[in-house]
Amino acid sequence: MTPEKVALTTTSPAPKPRSNGKADNALAAELTRLLGPKKVLSNLSERLNYRYDAIQFGATPLAVVLPESTADVVTAVRAARAAGVPVVGRGAASGLSGGAAPTSPGLVISFTRMTRLDIFPERREARAQAGVVTLAVTEKAKPHGLIYPPDPASFRTSTIGGNLGENAGGPLCFKYGVSGDYVKGLEFVDADGGVHELTRDAYDLAGLLIGSEGTLGLITEATLRLTPPPKYTRTLMASFPEVGACAEAVSAAIAAGAVPGKLEFMDQACTNAVEDFLAIGLPREAGAVLLVDTDGDDLGTVEEERALVEAACLNAGGTVRRAATDSESAALWQARRSVSPALGRIRPQRMNEDIVVPRSALPEVVREIRALGDASGLPLVQFGHIGDGNLHPNILFDPRRESPEAVHDLAHQIALVAIRHGGVLSGEHGIGTMKRAFMRDAVDPVTLGALRDVKRALDPTGTLNPGKILPDEDGTHAHP
Amino acid sequence: MNHEIPVQNIGPQGEVMAHAVDACVHCGFCLPACPTYALLGDEMDSPRGRIVLMKEVLEGELALADAAPHLDRCLGCQACVSACPSGVPYGELITSFRGWSEPHRERSPLDRAKRAAILKILPAPKVFSLAARAGQYTKPLAPLLPAALRAPLDLLPERVPAMQPSPRVTPARGRRIGRVAFLAGCAQQALAPNFNAATLRVLARNGIEVVIPEGQGCCGAAALHTGARDEALRLVRQNLAAFDPDEYDAILSNAAGCGAGLKEYPVVLHGLPDEEQARAFAAKVQDISEFLAGLLRQGDLEPPMPTSRPLTVAYHDACHLAHAQKIRLAPRELLRAIPGVTVAEVPEGDLCCGSAGTYNLEQPALANELGVRKAGNILSTTPDLVVSGNIGCHTQIQSHVRRQGSRVPVMHTVELLDLAYRGEL
Ligand SMILES: Cc1cc2nc3c(=O)[nH]c(=O)nc-3n(C[C@H](O)[C@H](O)[C@H](O)COP(=O)(O)OP(=O)(O)OC[C@H]3O[C@@H](n4cnc5c(N)ncnc54)[C@H](O)[C@@H]3O)c2cc1C
Ligand code: SF4
Ligand code: SF4
Repeated sequence: MTPEKVALTTTSPAPKPRSNGKADNALAAELTRLLGPKKVLSNLSERLNYRYDAIQFGATPLAVVLPESTADVVTAVRAARAAGVPVVGRGAASGLSGGAAPTSPGLVISFTRMTRLDIFPERREARAQAGVVTLAVTEKAKPHGLIYPPDPASFRTSTIGGNLGENAGGPLCFKYGVSGDYVKGLEFVDADGGVHELTRDAYDLAGLLIGSEGTLGLITEATLRLTPPPKYTRTLMASFPEVGACAEAVSAAIAAGAVPGKLEFMDQACTNAVEDFLAIGLPREAGAVLLVDTDGDDLGTVEEERALVEAACLNAGGTVRRAATDSESAALWQARRSVSPALGRIRPQRMNEDIVVPRSALPEVVREIRALGDASGLPLVQFGHIGDGNLHPNILFDPRRESPEAVHDLAHQIALVAIRHGGVLSGEHGIGTMKRAFMRDAVDPVTLGALRDVKRALDPTGTLNPGKILPDEDGTHAHP
Repeated sequence: MNHEIPVQNIGPQGEVMAHAVDACVHCGFCLPACPTYALLGDEMDSPRGRIVLMKEVLEGELALADAAPHLDRCLGCQACVSACPSGVPYGELITSFRGWSEPHRERSPLDRAKRAAILKILPAPKVFSLAARAGQYTKPLAPLLPAALRAPLDLLPERVPAMQPSPRVTPARGRRIGRVAFLAGCAQQALAPNFNAATLRVLARNGIEVVIPEGQGCCGAAALHTGARDEALRLVRQNLAAFDPDEYDAILSNAAGCGAGLKEYPVVLHGLPDEEQARAFAAKVQDISEFLAGLLRQGDLEPPMPTSRPLTVAYHDACHLAHAQKIRLAPRELLRAIPGVTVAEVPEGDLCCGSAGTYNLEQPALANELGVRKAGNILSTTPDLVVSGNIGCHTQIQSHVRRQGSRVPVMHTVELLDLAYRGEL
């Protein structure tokens, strides 16, 4: 019997899979010595699984640490520093910009076992370790009449550490803000292995770490703000013959004074991919579908806002359907959350954009992008948090059929559309390696210099997640 | 997922596997659905991780022996399939992979003997019944035995019932509205003969003639899912010969695992000459609950009698019904058709009970952990009765519920229906 089998014939609690101790490099051996075999993965089969996120495959790490405490993180960071290898933080690896995929062999610290979560209802706060799954915060807060609003579509999988690493948003961000807006304090480990406790005053260093994609420090714990959920929510779905009309309806509804809780759209290809998965009767023929929640504590206002949105949709040539029951609206929102992976049914690979444009420019932008897609001959789909002007144009491709250069070119053109209309490159998914090449288009050289200075100040040796966000200084930048 | 799997060297099953790997966009949506990920919290024991491991082995980047421990921990519950918006056929991937890799595996003699014994005993009802009886007498010795031998004993009911022979043909009672073929099953005949008896009674009462074709055997699922592909092919072909789909309105199974196995025949035979035949066969296969719910919807199901007092029934979704066959509504509709029954939803209902075919025997520690969790979740609904549609789940749940000190009856969906018809609820 192999050691594996022996380990598994003991009774509960479930034994953690054990590395068989065959550390095949010095770093793995040293980490195993320091932390014990349970927390260190060193076999090839284990390490191969910590080289990707939801968009990209990177370099196979030399070792993986699954810390259970901040102290473990400190030990791991110090060992990697001593070995002179990079350190990449990893949550659930649901990231869409290559953030958690290592650019060179080093150490991956995966937070999935740091899952302590305490709720302090009287202070409306949660204290969460980095590996806590996002949805778990709301689930644990709900009995106290509280929720944690940031709701990325990946919230059943993604972790608080990864959400803060990317400053993730979700449908609720239109009215309620993104992850960073709910952070009251952070504990993080720096590139030297020092532990820091941050609040949001003085220099807002916590704010700087949020969205820094693990390049400035590793977040180990966060104090999060909780809020009571709105008393009433009403859901509607509108379908439009064409994407631009959908964007017009959104602009008009907001101009009329509606502040919906959620405002999301998906185009025809998205709707069809999701319908293939869920079969809940989404309108397959519509050029675009809009999903809207209006919410609040006053039912009259909630209904009024829904009427405003409805009128705007009808005006723009849309057809409106109200969700009659809670389960109907739950199904519609599950549909929206499933868009991204459901696109895999069309092509196995995709280039995922995450642009944000001013709302006034929305109709023009979605139409321009549609036209670019049509002209390129590549399958291009659009969806996103349209209320925020946050669009996710996705280029779907099969590397055996479509040329990566053509994909990259189209992605670049889309980025330029956003910039031309006064928009930015990333709303929530981060820059990672995917959009690093476009940073020079989006950020002026002086500002880029300031960003580099910040990175140098916090991570002088370039240990933390190298090759992400900032393009190389010599002017070359690797294509994704 | 990009891959370089040498499909041409592997053959038709290589196509099946390459297609599945290709379809995965590594989004991680399946992670929270996976029981082993829930218990172990690492990527290698998640669906996404396993897909990568299989890809690496098929591409020759990783030794099979290195990937095997993680692949062996997969229950085959297919919860990941239900959770996957990209439509990755994970079930087909792992089954094909196990079949492909088994001949390349190095196993200890003890391991081999154990597997051979399982594959011999499980599909042969008479042998199983004998073994179960022998086991029943050995039960008091269980604490003295090594864990690997203890696990199967732990699962045996206190009393192993006598085998009940099933008639070849059960005529419809009253107006005959249909004719079906029935797969009698293997272990189930020994452990819970009343499942079949109740099934025949309920069908007959509703005007359905039931034929148990001669020459049928085990569905082959156990062999298939443990990688014994040749044995599985033999059983599949035996059943294709025994059941002529043109003769029946439907081919029924009352065990979720077997039903799922029968529906898988076209994948097993993918690229082989009898693939078409398997397709015609699989098109007729239905789970008993699916078939009866069909009658209910057409208004053809005789209404069951009301219960004597209000009953809370905890319905357990067997993985091979809910995930593999996508049947969730039908059994609930049938239960709700009994006046006086309220169906309770089990928390974490989508998480496997840990039974999963031969998993209990091969991964007793993980299986036990899941069994404890499932029983706790079921009991938290304070049910009067527990119902499921699969013999494996039945045995596992019954044994864990008892261990947690509850005497609540655990039944098959048709048993409950049968009791309701007889006014015994
Ligand atoms: C189907 C799907 C839908 C999605 N929908 C949304 C959406 O609606 N909104 C949205 O914003 N995003 C969305 N995403 C992207 C992704 O889920 C988010 O970026 C999420 O926040 C990543 O969390 P994670 O735990 O998976 O982090 P990972 O992917 O593991 O890591 C993300 C980044 O954070 C860093 N990091 C991870 N943990 C730490 C830590 N403890 N300290 C410091 N740095 C760390 C990593 O190095 C990496 O750079 C979606 C992804 C998928 C696959
Ligand atoms: S949900 Fe589907 S596509 Fe996503 S990682 Fe899992 S198997 Fe792959
Ligand atoms: S079949 Fe079940 S155990 Fe196996 S990977 Fe899928 S969810 Fe996990």
